[in-house]
Amino acid sequence: MTFSARRIGEFWNKPEHAAYLFLLPAFGLLFVFSVIPLLASFLVSTLDVTVYLTGVKFVGLKNFIEAVGDPRFWNALFNTLVFTAVEVPLQICFALFVAALVTKDTRINKAYRSVFFLPIVCSATAVGIMWQFILNQNIGYIPYALTTIGLPRIAFLKDPSIALFTIVFISVWRTFGITTTIFVAAMQDVSKELYESSEIDGAGKLRQFFSITIPGIRPAIWFILITRVIGSLQVFDLVYVTTGGGPVFRTETLVTYIYSRAFTTNIRLGYATAMSECLFLIILLISICLYSRMIKQERE
Amino acid sequence: MTKSLKRFSASAARNIILLAISALILVPVLWMFLSSLRPANQITIYPPDFFPKSLTLKNFERVFKKIPILTYAKNSLIFAVFTTLPSVFISAMAGYAFARFRFKGKNVLFTITLMTLMIPFQVTMIPLFMEIYAMGLYDTYLGLILPRLAVVIGIFMMRSFFAGLPVALEEAGRLDGLTEFGIFFRIMLPQCKPAMITLMVLGVNAAWNDLMYPLLLTSDTSMRMLANGLAMFVGQDTIEYGAAFAGAVISVVPMLLAYILGQKYFVEGTATSGIKG
Repeated sequence: MTFSARRIGEFWNKPEHAAYLFLLPAFGLLFVFSVIPLLASFLVSTLDVTVYLTGVKFVGLKNFIEAVGDPRFWNALFNTLVFTAVEVPLQICFALFVAALVTKDTRINKAYRSVFFLPIVCSATAVGIMWQFILNQNIGYIPYALTTIGLPRIAFLKDPSIALFTIVFISVWRTFGITTTIFVAAMQDVSKELYESSEIDGAGKLRQFFSITIPGIRPAIWFILITRVIGSLQVFDLVYVTTGGGPVFRTETLVTYIYSRAFTTNIRLGYATAMSECLFLIILLISICLYSRMIKQERE
Repeated sequence: MTKSLKRFSASAARNIILLAISALILVPVLWMFLSSLRPANQITIYPPDFFPKSLTLKNFERVFKKIPILTYAKNSLIFAVFTTLPSVFISAMAGYAFARFRFKGKNVLFTITLMTLMIPFQVTMIPLFMEIYAMGLYDTYLGLILPRLAVVIGIFMMRSFFAGLPVALEEAGRLDGLTEFGIFFRIMLPQCKPAMITLMVLGVNAAWNDLMYPLLLTSDTSMRMLANGLAMFVGQDTIEYGAAFAGAVISVVPMLLAYILGQKYFVEGTATSGIKG
């Protein structure tokens, strides 16, 4: 008995076997809580399921066909794409600009950087509460301040034509610190000699920014572009805590719509899963496009 | 003379821009803190005052009366700590295996790990909800914690950290007759304290502020956390502005303190996640 126990011990102590033991907890958990749900999602999307998980009925592709004919689905997709198309470029340009201003590791720059990072430690809920009130047209400070310079009282989160863009602003406000931090780290790695030699050639700061800094940090820009696009296509938190999808569904995104059909009103888990599968496909297609462009550019 | 003047005005312009952006960040946060101390009748007035005329702690009293905010805070803390601590060890173990061992199927397993990053949470959330429900873990701490223990980004970060350590370390351990687990726990793990602290800090922050996930897996009031509990409180039709501000302040202060104390880990962790990613 002890003999075989020792044999087992020796077997598992060989690095090529021990590796599996080291991986076991992570892979066991990933399998149960990521892989199985993923596989199950394909099945669930072909079912009709109530919230009490009763009355399960196989409906084939009916849920997908229903999504194609659901105007709220298209509206949510449209809003999500608009949000992404505005938020990501805005976030990247703004963070590039700010990062260029605070690249050097001086004490004051570090202080600026830590201020810019601050909103990230605040929950979306707190950020949502904060901006809801500051932007409230009846009691908020910003609409009031704008009236003092002659503008009308703007209902930033209640006006259907601007609510989505207000959420874009809050989103950039909340996360540009992360993007800036990553750009600063990348900019510090760009070789100093490139700047010195271009200075001898008489290039100005602006020229240097576009001809040295931007190409020098291209991998970081791609990283941010891809992760931010994927993140923006899944936007949920800020919408949930500021407008809840209103007014008149003008800020409803795909994920808030999926969430509401899965857990709040007119609940149908199968239909919600089918829509999430559509979102998955959209994310996959857009990521593949971005990745292949990135690889193509890196080869040049 | 003109050159130094030019340089001075450029630096002045730069600082004005940066100060303006800082104000854009700090003023709303300050406004939230001030408003949590504002008497109710000063919150709903127009035109609003920036600085309150008098201060009160009534809003905090109200929020304690309206919602079980201490329970929420306790749940947030339990969730943040008991997902992050084990997950850092699990990530370290898996990252170590990928970085230091040669074994069959390594590339396949690594690719699978990479691919799980591509799955949006929204796709798995409904089956995950059903799974947790079927396991009888809905509305329990265990149900909240278990699915969050394997963190793929953590595995990547630990892998790249371990890959940078010298081979001589583990060879010395083998000569001393340590088992592979002994080498890992006694020699390698102590080497990566900074990386582990970074992962813990980022993990606690993410868990503390997570909104959708606890919404998904709990419904009982006694299981709510600060992020989702407050969101539901604010989502009600009759919002109490002062109480909401007080609640937001309570939810933000612990992470703000953590940020002030461990800023280095927040910022460096984020910076390296970008470069390695």
